[in-house]
Amino acid sequence: MKQLIKMVFAVVLIAASTSVLAVGDIEAGKQKSTACAACHGVYGVSASAMFPTIAGQHADYMVKALKAYKSGERNNPIMQGSVAGLSDEDMVNLAAYFASQAGLKTLKK
Amino acid sequence: MKRLLAGVLVLGMAFSVTANAAGDAALGAIKGQTCLGCHGVKNYNNAYPTYHVPKLAGQHAGYLVAAMKAYKVGARTHATMYGNVVDLSEQDMQDIAAYFEQDGK
Repeated sequence: MKQLIKMVFAVVLIAASTSVLAVGDIEAGKQKSTACAACHGVYGVSASAMFPTIAGQHADYMVKALKAYKSGERNNPIMQGSVAGLSDEDMVNLAAYFASQAGLKTLKK
Repeated sequence: MKRLLAGVLVLGMAFSVTANAAGDAALGAIKGQTCLGCHGVKNYNNAYPTYHVPKLAGQHAGYLVAAMKAYKVGARTHATMYGNVVDLSEQDMQDIAAYFEQDGK
């Protein structure tokens, strides 16, 4: 029984900590977003087809992309340089900021 | 006169490039049916690792074509995306991308 309680406690703790991390701080993200704005636009709507619009994109997808650029799994010199100095927390915050902007939508069926 | 001719020729080339670059969104709607299985479902998740399938409506067509090409040559790796783009021609990609771009507007 004790073990069960411990396990439930651990699961709840892990769940809580990941969800806190995943939510992100929109305001902190905005503060960090100046460099991104140069290509992706201030609100994440880019003016050039060379750079994707990221406004309204799913936050967790953007975090995944940022991490992939950092690790080199996605190979893009501009992005690799831009994300090199970002912590995991910065990425989550940036993603929260751009996800909160109006832009991309799910395709209509 | 020669210069005028040259000018017209250059203009003609410019038009052909645009015609080539702009995909046919109506054709794209047909060719892109399969894409909707994931990209047309709100909040749909990729399985293992779990993250939301990206939203594509309103994305720049040029960027979408670049992404599809990257999956095709393996510069971006995702097994499902590879399987879906490997048989697409450049024109197919342009058409699908045109459809996605205008869908968000």
